[in-house]
Amino acid sequence: KAGCPWTKEGNLELLKIPNFLHLTPVAIKKHCEALKGEKGFHTAHSEEQHYILQYLKFCTEWPAALDNDEKCEKHFPVEIETADYVSAGPSVRNPKARVVTLRVKLSSLNLDDHAKKKLIKLVGERYCKTTDVLTIRTDRCPLKRQNYDYAVYLLTVLYHESWKTEEWEKNKTEADMEEYVWENSSSEKNILETLLQIKAAEKNLEVNKEELLGTKEVEDYRKSVVSLKNEGDNESTLSQYKESVKRLLNLT
Amino acid sequence: TMLKGMTRLISRVHKAKHGEQHEGQHYNIPLQDLKAVFPHGLPPRFVMQVKTFNEACLMVRKPALELLHYLKNTNFAHPAVRYVLYGEKGTGKTLSLCHIIHFCAKQDWLILHIPDAHLWVKNCRNLLQSTYNKQRLDQPLEASIWLKNFKTANERFLSQIKVQEKYVWNKRESTEKGSPLGEVVEQGITRVRNATDAVGIVLKELKRQSSSGIFHLLVAVDGVNALWGRTTLKREDKSPIAPEELALIYNLRKMVKNDWHGGAIVLTLSQTGSVFKPRKAFLPQELLGKEGFDTLDPFIPILVSNYNPKEFESCIQYYLENSWLQHEKAHTEDGKKELLFLSNTNPGQLERLCAYL
Repeated sequence: KAGCPWTKEGNLELLKIPNFLHLTPVAIKKHCEALKGEKGFHTAHSEEQHYILQYLKFCTEWPAALDNDEKCEKHFPVEIETADYVSAGPSVRNPKARVVTLRVKLSSLNLDDHAKKKLIKLVGERYCKTTDVLTIRTDRCPLKRQNYDYAVYLLTVLYHESWKTEEWEKNKTEADMEEYVWENSSSEKNILETLLQIKAAEKNLEVNKEELLGTKEVEDYRKSVVSLKNEGDNESTLSQYKESVKRLLNLT
Repeated sequence: TMLKGMTRLISRVHKAKHGEQHEGQHYNIPLQDLKAVFPHGLPPRFVMQVKTFNEACLMVRKPALELLHYLKNTNFAHPAVRYVLYGEKGTGKTLSLCHIIHFCAKQDWLILHIPDAHLWVKNCRNLLQSTYNKQRLDQPLEASIWLKNFKTANERFLSQIKVQEKYVWNKRESTEKGSPLGEVVEQGITRVRNATDAVGIVLKELKRQSSSGIFHLLVAVDGVNALWGRTTLKREDKSPIAPEELALIYNLRKMVKNDWHGGAIVLTLSQTGSVFKPRKAFLPQELLGKEGFDTLDPFIPILVSNYNPKEFESCIQYYLENSWLQHEKAHTEDGKKELLFLSNTNPGQLERLCAYL
């Protein structure tokens, strides 16, 4: 019998309950106090105490240096979330336990502007703009370990791919832009054209583009258009836009 | 009766003198003006009201006053400024536009009024391929109706303004350079096939010549968002028609750009009657879309909102004076509160509610 793995049929261990759900917290505390009192003596242990001793080997103190969230995030930016399930039954297995969620803030990753934009486009819904957190949830493999490896693999691939620039990226159009950029936009062209015409009407032909666009009024206008395009229409952005256009066109 | 004068301005007060102190009061448009200035501009419910009360009274409100202020200070040497009236349904955008049009008409401006641009992008029949440009389509019915109304509104200008080039209609007919613009309009009205091209010519000539200073041009388009939306029109092969493929829309788009001077451009955004736009949409970028916004930018957005307490009171008084509100509780404080609550001070809603009382 010794040296050979036990079969499933007639195995007494499998019939035993693999969890402590039948114990009350008070009872567990008593057992733990009893165990703590021992200093290496061989004492007769109950079944439960035997298991508690085994588990205690794997429990260590929380590192004292990591006493707040910022330090945790700084040293361990990647957060892995897994769930284990106990139930009052003979089997330890639960298919729900295979899910692995990987979270990381993009600010912890070394990404330049292009890489960050590309990564956000690649992951789509998995990125949250307000918290800057990328969440990758894997469950396609049957085992937790496999899903964990897969999640880490995904993160690695995403990171490397975003740094690369592919041929087809040259086809990025205005509609693909994440945020509105005023430079070289139709708004800039329109206002330049309008200002040039105003100057022409005043017989002032000695103006150049930089001078015209460099005034404070144009800067305010630029800001208002950018807000309008990025934030959308609301009372504040619209009135800001209105005032800046009025000033630009010299309307009282 | 003595009460009648209370909410009215003395009709002798010239519109040009409308100022903030008149806010909330009604002013009277003489009925003969209506026919001349608005052959096709007034909203249907207002037309019914005019018929019932036998007078046309518009309330003087902030948005129109603001616009009038800008218009009075227009620098005609600078590019035409775009003013865009926007607001929720029933707040009074169209009537504000009408107020402006009446003012400009009285100041002897030439009025180019498209009362509902949405009518040009839906339910149009008998589309023809344009002879001028094969890629585009003509809308003979819509064009000829518009020409007739344009003629009525601007009769006196049609002989004054002369076309600056020769236009050939077909093998036998042409309009010589230097002929009065009225001839082009007549051609479009009599030969419906040429109506769309006639509209295009009128627009082109007016834009070109407004800069010369003979006249001030007001371009007034209600529902301008129709120019950049979608159409419900399809070709014979069921393929959808884009707005720019319609010659009328294509030419109208040119009129709302600010590459001309000598006038002003007043536009309203309207969800009512629009196609493929959600009912609650009223904000500029929602209704104009990217293309529309980029074309009109830079413009002055002017918000038209529901009645404030003073305006609400004035409107109720107006209805009471015209004996429109027959319900015995209508003039009581409770009755007014009920109307205020039910209509949420929305002018359109209030008018509809009062129609039943």
